[in-house]
Amino acid sequence: MGPIKPMPNLSLARALDFIKASQNPDGGWGYRPGGQSLTEPTGLCVFALSSPGDKAAAGRGLDFLKACQKDSGAVGIHPKDPEGNWMAYAALLAFHALGAAAEERRLRDWILSFEDASGRLTPDNIKAISADYRYDASIQGWPWTPNTMAWVEPTALFIIALVRAGVPRSHERIQSGIKLIIDRKIPSGGWNFGNPYSKSHELEASFMSTALALAALGAAGVPESRPTVGEGISYLIRGLAGDVSTASLAWILLALKSYPAGASQVPIVAARLAGLQAADGSFRRNLFETTLASLVLGDAGALLRPTGRSG
Amino acid sequence: MTEKPMTRREIIRVLGKSAISALPAAALAAGQAQSGKRPAFGPLLQVALVHCPNYEPERLLEAIRAGWRSTRPPEVRGKRVVIKPNIADFAPDRPIHTDARLVEALIRHLGDLGAREIVLAEGPPQNRDTEWLFRQSGFEALARRRGVLLVDLNYDDITPVKCVNPRATLLKELYLPKTILSADVIISVPKMKTHKLAGITLSLKNMFGVVPGMKYGWPKNTLHWNGIPLSICEINGTIKTHYSIIDGIVGMEGHGPIMGTAKKAGVLVMGANALSVDATAARVMGVDPARVDYLVMAQTIKLGSLRSENIGVAGETLEKFRTDFVLDPEYSFLRAPKG
Repeated sequence: MGPIKPMPNLSLARALDFIKASQNPDGGWGYRPGGQSLTEPTGLCVFALSSPGDKAAAGRGLDFLKACQKDSGAVGIHPKDPEGNWMAYAALLAFHALGAAAEERRLRDWILSFEDASGRLTPDNIKAISADYRYDASIQGWPWTPNTMAWVEPTALFIIALVRAGVPRSHERIQSGIKLIIDRKIPSGGWNFGNPYSKSHELEASFMSTALALAALGAAGVPESRPTVGEGISYLIRGLAGDVSTASLAWILLALKSYPAGASQVPIVAARLAGLQAADGSFRRNLFETTLASLVLGDAGALLRPTGRSG
Repeated sequence: MTEKPMTRREIIRVLGKSAISALPAAALAAGQAQSGKRPAFGPLLQVALVHCPNYEPERLLEAIRAGWRSTRPPEVRGKRVVIKPNIADFAPDRPIHTDARLVEALIRHLGDLGAREIVLAEGPPQNRDTEWLFRQSGFEALARRRGVLLVDLNYDDITPVKCVNPRATLLKELYLPKTILSADVIISVPKMKTHKLAGITLSLKNMFGVVPGMKYGWPKNTLHWNGIPLSICEINGTIKTHYSIIDGIVGMEGHGPIMGTAKKAGVLVMGANALSVDATAARVMGVDPARVDYLVMAQTIKLGSLRSENIGVAGETLEKFRTDFVLDPEYSFLRAPKG
């Protein structure tokens, strides 16, 4: 995928101004201005500011993220969190973007060793889960928190971040993550949080989960010739006729930019998303959504394209 | 791997069976079960059963006022009141969430009573798309119409809180949202539903939604691994619910909390003790609360009482409202005998 020019109706400058003005004294960002500094919004803000923005502000954000890192290399939700969790994906994007090589290497290694509960399951356990939820619980992905089950969204977020950080798509964890995402698809198209069924009931897909899953599959190089991919894209395009949230629109745009089949919808979705920008430059005064929207409306490749440089 | 290999379901099953077999015995040992003696609760725990056949706004307001008067409600004048509805998910054809019209009537009532600030707060358990959920379920429009704050607890600022009752928990501390910790009064307003992993879900189970997803994952998976009954007790042992109003006007039966079907019971169940309110609502649903593991556990750790002799039911009689909800087959043992 080649570089994509920023959409003309997005004010990237105003978005960056909003982000910079919302930085906390500790260098981090919360989900809302003045909110507690947390790894996910901080990682995304640092990533967004690393190229066109304010290097000093990004540097202060980087220091906050470094303070979140444990001796094990793990990154949790904030510096006092005693354990690592899913938000580490955003820290990896930031470490990589700012060239924090040592921190990036330690975090990448931790993420690649961050296990879900699949290794603790017996064959009987796996059989029971297969009967009730109709997925293969032996496939390793990523959990939200340590020692719990793997789910679609954290698996997708970690795949996107790892590929961006230059981990080969052939890495066994990435390949296993792809396998998990494909295994968890909803038979009628798309994904939800990670249970295709509950006993005899097929559960419904959701926009956010589907878009994230497709963005990850795209980042990992899964072709759109795979029926699962095509069904997912169709699900998203059908859903665009109705109500879609800001964050889901952003993830959908990223997913559509990942596959040629989505290309015709990209200008429509981009215009719809850009139209949600408020006068203060924000999207819903939410730092995560503002950063994500700015990134995907700008150069989505910044999130999806591997740089070829690993820490 | 040295950890014991167990699935969420197995953990739940194991804990459920042990709770059911062991905890009533513990309660007996404490002189609280089947003895006919009144435990040290003092006066009866008041629960109101208020007939309300539909979601017509004035009818709802009248029902809430009637139930509120006949129980022992918290003082709300000048207080910051947080309302916790259940917005587990949204589907246009299934009443998964607490009806926003009921919550709107409650907001009006609290405003009439002089509440200083009213906040709506929920942390949906599995669908992270809270903007969409709040909009589709009508709560975004409600918050705007009534000028109240609507908070996504999954991403609120959080603070670790030491568990107040270590006997009730496997977690050592809970990270809880600032919105909840800074509340003067918390009102749990769940939907009356059956639940595929807990049997039934009412006021106490509704408080799963205060636990932030950003720390515990979705669908609050850490709590599942810790065991649903224990987690319910830990959360409710740490956070006091000052009042409960269960939306049983139209509840949900079958494969809840998401995939069930509508079931009309035409009742609001209200009171200041969440456990007693839940026990009464369970009886409305045709469920024996003494067979619900987490309700028994909650009684054992002294969160209140589920025993009918400790509960004073105001309003109409329980028998009038009994509407047997279809249970998930795995929970058919919860059914209370008739008569």
